Amino acid sequence: MSQEVRIGKVTFQNPILLASGTFGFGLEFPQVVRRMGGIIGKAITLKPRAGNPPPRIWEVPGGILNSVGLENPGVSEFVHSVLPRMTFGKAHVVVNVAGSTVGEYAEIIRRMDSDRIAGFELNVSCPNVRQGCIAFGQNPQTVARIVRSCRRTTSKLLITKLTANFVDPLLTARAAEQEGSDAVTLINAVSALALDAQGLPALGAGTGGLSGPAIKPLALYCVRRVAEGVKIPVIGCGGITCGLDVQEFMLAGARMVQIGSINLIDPFSGLRILAELRREESSPEKERGAS
Amino acid sequence: MTSSVSRPIDAAFVASKKLAPDIVSVWLEARSVAARIQPGQFVQVRVGPDEELFLRRPFSVAQQQRDRIRIVFRTVGRGTATLSLTRRGDNWNLLGPLGKPAPQFNNREIVLVGGGIGIAPLLFLAERVCRNNRVHAILGARNRQELVLHPEFRKIRVKLNLCTEDGSLGKRGLVTDILQALICSLQSAVAPVVFACGPRPMLQRVKELTRGLESYAFWEERMGCGTGICYGCAVKRDDGKGYLRLCQEGPVLRMSDIEI
Repeated sequence: MSQEVRIGKVTFQNPILLASGTFGFGLEFPQVVRRMGGIIGKAITLKPRAGNPPPRIWEVPGGILNSVGLENPGVSEFVHSVLPRMTFGKAHVVVNVAGSTVGEYAEIIRRMDSDRIAGFELNVSCPNVRQGCIAFGQNPQTVARIVRSCRRTTSKLLITKLTANFVDPLLTARAAEQEGSDAVTLINAVSALALDAQGLPALGAGTGGLSGPAIKPLALYCVRRVAEGVKIPVIGCGGITCGLDVQEFMLAGARMVQIGSINLIDPFSGLRILAELRREESSPEKERGAS
Repeated sequence: MTSSVSRPIDAAFVASKKLAPDIVSVWLEARSVAARIQPGQFVQVRVGPDEELFLRRPFSVAQQQRDRIRIVFRTVGRGTATLSLTRRGDNWNLLGPLGKPAPQFNNREIVLVGGGIGIAPLLFLAERVCRNNRVHAILGARNRQELVLHPEFRKIRVKLNLCTEDGSLGKRGLVTDILQALICSLQSAVAPVVFACGPRPMLQRVKELTRGLESYAFWEERMGCGTGICYGCAVKRDDGKGYLRLCQEGPVLRMSDIEI
């Protein structure tokens, strides 16, 4: 049975994507990437970013707080020395783009005119940087301006990755749809705080983004709310750890999913989840536990 | 740069022993890991089948014998407390070996400096490097009870120096006091190589004392994946050019390369 999914002009071999920031650029485990629908690499910014001071990661019940701070080599170095190595057979490469100004998104995309890239995911939702990203994603008008300028710049697949932080994602999703986004991803990590034993912020940057199974119900809620209110496909993301989770997101209205935090526990999770999904889709008896 | 990391395995629990009130030693049957692991490398351990304790815990290896590896750890939170209760019949789910092996030397004067639970990974290193180097081990802890694994060091060809902060075993004082005296006394034509593992203040002092020498730290940081894909375990570079990924470039890092 074919698992192919089409979004915009791009056909993916199956509905599972590796979420941005959770699988590097795919170079460590190409044998896993090749079998996925695609990989969304670490976010790319206009200039190189060193990232945030450690600790960058902190465990909480059922999830992780992270504040990596978009460490990346910047668009020039990425195009020159990373992108040429991102060859993963039938799996597509989607580049996550993060701007610190509204104009930077299109500027970054303009510098990445490569056949290796199937499309772009606009990061208007990262909670771990001082400027841009989540601040843009909380305002539908700003999301509209960013998507509009990027849509004028590229005819490639354009996905907008939205936040559920202090904004109704239906409003930002509609703004993205109106300006020509081919799909929306819901949700990015949620702004969160953990304190250490001394009562001080546990992460080096102070606050972070919560991800993992702890946010799955919130992600499912957002996916359903948005899927019922827009016509473009929704890509579900948030706490997926198994094939049943993927099916739940599909039932909530997602066309595709991204797996993220679980890659940190086992980099081969994508292969397992894909196998579980195939098994479940071919068996008529589905068992869905309360979650 | 395809990773040589294999899929996680279930390692059978063989035996455990309490070495001190909160220090546990565990032997695991883990053929594929035991066959490949080198001193300096580590494994990532899943705590439970459920997702509440979500991340794996990184552990260095204290010994490797045939198909078995030994992990010696301090219980510091819920994850390590759960692992300390492992019984026969249980498995530990391991990902590894991970990280780079410690650099190798021949015919050199090697000084190992271990503080507290930091002694554990130095035992594995000592057992290997003592075959073709002259090895000094300086091991210290707060008190006699916490100075673990020194009987194992006595079984191999190393010159052993013990110390405790309360003087209950070996000299009274800090490992770094002994290190300072030892560096001054070594008359070798070739400069010694120093490996240190222990609390951060100890490593800071070792870095000061070994300026100009080749010295390495077994470094620790909060870790996510352990495989290089999450960029969680950042270590600040000494040259101000951002961060290193501990799980990729380390966990044994040249002291001059990092801010300690």
